[in-house]
Amino acid sequence: MEYIYLLPVLFSAIGSLLCILPFLKFEEDISVIVAIGALATSIYILFLPNYTTDFFYIDGLSKIFLVMTSAIYLAAVIFSIYYIDHIQNKLFQSHFYFFLLNTFVLTMLFTVILNNLGLIWVAVEATTVTSALLISTENDESTIEATWRYVIIVSVGLIISLIAVIFIYSSFKTLSFADILKQHSYERITYFGAVLGIIGFGTKAGIFPMHTWLPDAHGKAPSPISAVFSAVLLPVALFAIERILQAVPDNGVKVFAFTLGLLSIALAAFMSFNQVYYKRMFAYSSIDNMGIALIGLSLGGYAFVGSILIILAHAFAKSATFFLTGNVLINYESWKIDDVKGISKTLPATGYSLFFGSLAVTGTPPFGTFLGELLILISIFNTYGVMITLLTGLFLAMAFIGINYQTLRMVFSEPNIEKRKENYIVIIPIINLLLALAVTFASPLIYNILFNGVWK
Amino acid sequence: MNHLDNAFLLVGFLEIAMVIFMQWEVYITNIIKTFSISSYLIALLFLIVGFINKENYILILAALTALTRGLIIPFYLRRILRKDKWRARETSPLVGISSSILISLLITVMGYLLYSLTLSNYINSNLGPIPITLMMQGMFLIISRSSTFTQLIGYLVMENAMYMFGYIFPELPFIVEAGIVLDLLGVVMISGAIIRLREDVIKNGSEEYTELKG
Repeated sequence: MEYIYLLPVLFSAIGSLLCILPFLKFEEDISVIVAIGALATSIYILFLPNYTTDFFYIDGLSKIFLVMTSAIYLAAVIFSIYYIDHIQNKLFQSHFYFFLLNTFVLTMLFTVILNNLGLIWVAVEATTVTSALLISTENDESTIEATWRYVIIVSVGLIISLIAVIFIYSSFKTLSFADILKQHSYERITYFGAVLGIIGFGTKAGIFPMHTWLPDAHGKAPSPISAVFSAVLLPVALFAIERILQAVPDNGVKVFAFTLGLLSIALAAFMSFNQVYYKRMFAYSSIDNMGIALIGLSLGGYAFVGSILIILAHAFAKSATFFLTGNVLINYESWKIDDVKGISKTLPATGYSLFFGSLAVTGTPPFGTFLGELLILISIFNTYGVMITLLTGLFLAMAFIGINYQTLRMVFSEPNIEKRKENYIVIIPIINLLLALAVTFASPLIYNILFNGVWK
Repeated sequence: MNHLDNAFLLVGFLEIAMVIFMQWEVYITNIIKTFSISSYLIALLFLIVGFINKENYILILAALTALTRGLIIPFYLRRILRKDKWRARETSPLVGISSSILISLLITVMGYLLYSLTLSNYINSNLGPIPITLMMQGMFLIISRSSTFTQLIGYLVMENAMYMFGYIFPELPFIVEAGIVLDLLGVVMISGAIIRLREDVIKNGSEEYTELKG
């Protein structure tokens, strides 16, 4: 029965193997089929008990990440089929694109089921290798510059977390996560390792101060890839941080994580006001969401549930938003906010969905992000008092105003192009937005899976 | 201090000296050659450690280091370089040559101070300053140059420093270590591909990217 836990990974592995064969012309159909397979098996795993061996450690958190990753995977594959025809000056052929996409998802699905901090590091670094070329699919100067910045900054950041892994190994004498959880005596170097781990993996999660690659990569990657980056890759890096926080549950480490989270949302709040390009703007919104999610992870308890709600709702809402910006880019042929006017009149379905997507990613009720932020704010109030809570609330409100104001300018203004025919693909972001809404109502269930490990 | 520690110190000082040499070298082929030599030195250190401690696993690691970082990666980088010869000289480093030598000497002093003031409380070894200094030198190489090749070499120097860390701390389990080597190869291959693309589209290295600002 145990092999069933590996099926999602296996499906994406089969997908990537079949897509690399250039004589098979069905890379799109194959990718859709394996993504459906990965999603179905991930959902089935929700009903199975937790599972631990020497190599694998699958608890409630892993199960939720498996479902989230494979859901976004399916949406991104379907949207890619529409989008890839509109990419000009493609760097490689379509079958190679789908090969990279499948491999990229494979490494992420692998990261969340491992029972070894060292192998988690290896898997996170492997996501860099598999995803880098995807950013530069649209082969032009600034895209390649963005890709290079991504590779070099993230690799340097991950070296820092490799030091963390070495420190943790030298103090626990093991890297097995299940064994580390049983130990309760820590040396001073353990804390130092944990702090370095948060900085290092934080690079990949877009956490201040090593976030600088994120707006470049998200802003220039093709829309489906931006969606996967923002919705799944950043949370997977946060997953690694959460494993470190679970391994070293120390107050000082938690305060450190909290501070970095707060600085991230402060940065996003100020940067979201002066954005010129809409995809970059939504990239800063990702930094905002990851910052508040890190705050929740550092606080634990109800705030931890709040974080997972934000991560889930943000995954669905942000992927929807990036899909929609892709549609906007195809029709308006400009990256600039000022060049995009009156989407609600030219592309009504895209326009209204983008409006709701923008509300969802900034934490508006009744989307899941709102419930998550509420739980986290209450927890901040209980732990750090009223001033810090107000400050956090202020930063969140600033990001809310900044991002939604720009989106309103794009959606509800006088159109500068004629009305276009809406493509049926817009149904994908709409479904994702509904799922972001459904997260709110599924919160008791998510709580149950997180703490009992099984869907009951 | 035993003989192995002395060997470690010797290799460590040579490594640092070679990175300082890279700081003022403008010909990228020479930087790559220097990096190759420094990797062979680390492999030699591992070879000695493996022989004296009679650990086969460290011998394998030494062979892997020599093969990937001494041979394959420098060969691969030089092959890319040969295709565009004009790229072989760094024309516009972000930090001038003389100031970067000064800064890298300062970093060496700072690495020692940083270690003795903070980290030595955590780590039971007086060999710690070497990998830390080497890591900071690698980071500075990335910051101070605009050539993609030099930045990549800076990253690889940081990786080498990680391996020197491995001497002070217990070696990671082999499967993790092997994963790290594979990842490193992956990063270099991908970087090589991106370098090629970057050279095709950018002819002068330092351009303004209005779309990547803010």
